[in-house]
Amino acid sequence: MAAPSPTIQIRVKDLCRTYDEGDKQHAVLEHVNAEFVKGETVALRGRSGSGKSTLLNLISGIDAPDQGEVNVAGLNITKMSERDRTLFRREHIGFVYQAFNLVSTLSVSDNVRLVLELNGVNDPEASNRIAELLEAVELADRAESFPDVLSGGEQQRVAIARALVHRPSLLLADEPTGNLDDKTAQGVLQLLDRLVGQTGGTMIIATHSAAVASYCDRVLELHNGALVPPTT
Amino acid sequence: MPVLFRASFGYLLRHPWQLTLALLGICIGVAVMVAVDLANESSRRAFLLSMDAINGEATHQIIAGPTGVDESVYANLRVEHGVRSVAPIVAGYVRYADTTLQVLGVDLFAEREFRNFSLSGRNENSVVGSRTGDGSAIDVISSILTIPGALLTSERTAQTLGLESGDEFRVVASGREQDAVLAGTFSQEEQGRLDNLLVTDIASAQQWLGMLGKLSRIDVRIRADDTALLQRIEAVLPPDTQMLSAAGRTQTTMDMSNAFLTNLSAMSLLALLVGVFLIYNSVAFAVLQRRGLIGVLRALGLTRGQTFALILLEGIMLGVVGSVLGLVVGVWLGEQLLYLVARTISDLYFVVQVTDVSLETGSVVKGLMAGIGATMIAAAVPAIEASSFQPRLALTRSVLERRAGRSLPIVAGLGLFAASAAVFLLMISGDNLVAGLVALFLLILGFSLVIPIAVRSCSRVLAPLAGRLVGTSGRLAISGVGASLSRTGVAIVALAVAVSATVGVSVMVDSFRGSVSEWLGNTLQSDIYVGVPRGAMDPDLLPDLVAVPGIESYSTSRRTWLETEQGRVRLVVLRMAPGSYAGTSIRNGDEEDVWRQFDEEGAVLVSDPYAYRNNVGRGDTISLRTSGGDRAFHIAAVYQSYDSNDGAILMSRETYDVFFDDPTINSIGIYLGENADADRVMDQLRQVSAGRQALIMSSNARIREMSLNIFDRTFVITDVLYWLAVGVAVIGILGAMLALQLEKARELAVLRAIGMTPGQMGGLVTIQTGFIGLLSGIAALPLGLLMAWVLIEVINRRAFGWQIDMSIDLGVLLTALMLAIGAALIAGIYPAYRAASARPALAMREE
Repeated sequence: MAAPSPTIQIRVKDLCRTYDEGDKQHAVLEHVNAEFVKGETVALRGRSGSGKSTLLNLISGIDAPDQGEVNVAGLNITKMSERDRTLFRREHIGFVYQAFNLVSTLSVSDNVRLVLELNGVNDPEASNRIAELLEAVELADRAESFPDVLSGGEQQRVAIARALVHRPSLLLADEPTGNLDDKTAQGVLQLLDRLVGQTGGTMIIATHSAAVASYCDRVLELHNGALVPPTT
Repeated sequence: MPVLFRASFGYLLRHPWQLTLALLGICIGVAVMVAVDLANESSRRAFLLSMDAINGEATHQIIAGPTGVDESVYANLRVEHGVRSVAPIVAGYVRYADTTLQVLGVDLFAEREFRNFSLSGRNENSVVGSRTGDGSAIDVISSILTIPGALLTSERTAQTLGLESGDEFRVVASGREQDAVLAGTFSQEEQGRLDNLLVTDIASAQQWLGMLGKLSRIDVRIRADDTALLQRIEAVLPPDTQMLSAAGRTQTTMDMSNAFLTNLSAMSLLALLVGVFLIYNSVAFAVLQRRGLIGVLRALGLTRGQTFALILLEGIMLGVVGSVLGLVVGVWLGEQLLYLVARTISDLYFVVQVTDVSLETGSVVKGLMAGIGATMIAAAVPAIEASSFQPRLALTRSVLERRAGRSLPIVAGLGLFAASAAVFLLMISGDNLVAGLVALFLLILGFSLVIPIAVRSCSRVLAPLAGRLVGTSGRLAISGVGASLSRTGVAIVALAVAVSATVGVSVMVDSFRGSVSEWLGNTLQSDIYVGVPRGAMDPDLLPDLVAVPGIESYSTSRRTWLETEQGRVRLVVLRMAPGSYAGTSIRNGDEEDVWRQFDEEGAVLVSDPYAYRNNVGRGDTISLRTSGGDRAFHIAAVYQSYDSNDGAILMSRETYDVFFDDPTINSIGIYLGENADADRVMDQLRQVSAGRQALIMSSNARIREMSLNIFDRTFVITDVLYWLAVGVAVIGILGAMLALQLEKARELAVLRAIGMTPGQMGGLVTIQTGFIGLLSGIAALPLGLLMAWVLIEVINRRAFGWQIDMSIDLGVLLTALMLAIGAALIAGIYPAYRAASARPALAMREE
């Protein structure tokens, strides 16, 4: 696979996605068009079920659209094979989820190491990067702890470290503060903003919160699976 | 260890119950297979070793009809024709201290080229073949040659019998006590090969076994390229003798037990098959419960191939650990089964003495391959499923169940295809036993694949009914079975297959027993049976016995072996009393005409197994080696018989006397007059025979009881094997229920939170497991009956030639149903307890 351009630009064109619900079909995204330029931070706002997570999944190649295409850095990922999409995602995209989704059987440092191992980063280099990032998320002293003994905020900081450790060009965050109290949420957002800013990458945050959206450069509003002009 | 693997395998380490059950499933499956294989191979090996020791370097054996080879044949070969590489042998059995011992009478001077028995003691020396020897060896040799009844045996046998060198004792041969003295023992090296064997001088053996002037055989040693010698010997042999390959004779004897050993192996494979279901169950659960983790890994960039490899590698690791544990347990179990296998072989085929399991590399490799292979196959399906997950974390239970539900018709279709293939295979495979067993396994597999779709239908239909009867718990429990088919389906199949095996084997054994019992009832027409175990009745005693008052008539029986082109065959020679004819059930032909041919025209009858194995029947002829050489005998009819696996030929005494120079009678059947008392007659018979010959006397009822006891004994090992299969299935249900409960921990916690009592929770799990048991039991009945039919009409027919009338006892079916429900309920006790005692807040937080 050809290496993508270092300047990631995302273009979403006429994207549609429908899911089966028993005998019926439910349209989650309908003809969505959007563009994202390198280095910007974009909030995807909308109510539950508006299609935010689905759009993130399609942008990352985790899911495939029924119609339309997603171009990332000039590469049409919707035309890629499932394997190529996986390899692309592995190398260029980082994820932060609302439910943290840490691997409970691995320690904090191993959770972070997992992505580097998948990317074939050698051990001394991996150890340096892990130490650096855990320092950055202020969890250096919890490196050998397991996720189930960490607070929600700490778990989300581990997830951020995992999402950024392989230096992705694009960070996708799906309700990253949904499970956190206001103060912790604020800390997490500041951390995300700072670290993504340092890497110069693009960040798309799916959220229903206006407070979270206020951290972003611009806001896209999703309503019933379609993008609408922002209300504010 | 890579982080990726730790992430995945860590799950199993954190759920030790599930890990243990998965390992147990593999372990028991492998253990049963290895145990049966080791027991079979050890018995086979023990037999071959002992035959090797007894045959020695002989390449050929000269044998004759029922009375043996005339001594003059040996003298003629050695003296007249100068053939030096021959040795005379007299073989038979004696009893001492309730033990049957094989006697080998040899000519020590002719033995040098054939056998080399090493003596134990201060100066170990060869009894035969030692040119110089020393004092101790020469003493032993001279004892054997000069003292009547002097013999050698292995140290272990001597110890078992409580004998030491120099001890004098009395053995019973052909019902007569004979003097014996232990002249020496073989060295340790001979242990195992020569256990329960007494080696004596040929003259002593002839004396004991009533074979004066006769030999059991003449061993011959001929170089492979010396066809001239072979032809020269054959040319001078009298017409009643024949020369056969020694290895061929051993193989023929060994082959007799092959069908039995193959059936045992098939039973052990059944346990492994149930084990495979459980392994699949365990691995599938482990995968399904980690779908969140797999989703995360896939989102982070794990490819489908890597996901597949990860799950498969995990399966292989489980397979290796479980199989190694299975090997250890298998060796132990093999030691327990060895006794049963050896006893059954001795009861049915030939005497085999085996005390130790020999750890065969082949058995170990087979066990490991089967365990790891089965685990890989079982893990491949969930691995494919896991790798096909879309890397969306929101892959819900309902999506999974819907997917499982959609695949049910395809799975059922595959089942029907497998069943059709089984029927086709049965139709085209003639009398091939292995093809029959493959067809049986295909039928089981085919039926198993149809069970899940039936379970879903039952669950849907019965859930509302359960709701009305038991309330919400009942409805939730019953609908939960169908709604969680991806978890419950395989457990139900595993239990159903195990229970169906109990139905199939029980119906087969009961039908077989019923047929044998009915046959015994018909065959045992005489009131009293008198005979000599492994020997001939004293011809002078017979007239005195039958003259006892109260005896109205009697029949005589001679049972011997003949070598035919098709191998060894049992020849039963009867002089029938008027009441005896009704005891033989003729399969085809007009009875009056058949008996006329039998009595007056020299025709013979052949038993069912003989007719089946040799593809002969009424109107055909068979060639037998008589005292005057080969002669063709007309087959008047096929008769029902269960007395020999390899079949028998029935010949009238009159015909036998014409063609065989053998007056021997082994037993008589006595018919009493109307008012005669059987016990009193037996007392008188004992008085008449006292001091002349020790006879075994049994009433009709006693013989019948003993025969059925032997029959039951031969099926003990079958019982053991199918109970092991049930054990494997119970573990499967336990695993399934625990996994289901783990899976539904949050759901159950919510039920507790909204007001369900611990009792109701326990009840819910109990109803669910009971329902699983009930469904398994119901599925097991038709499958079991189908298995019984195949076992009776195909497997037993092809393996042994038996014709069995299938009879179904409702008790067997009810027991199977109870067994399935009981097994499931037992497996559900712990999950029910856990469900009842779970703390809802904790369960919801953990989720």
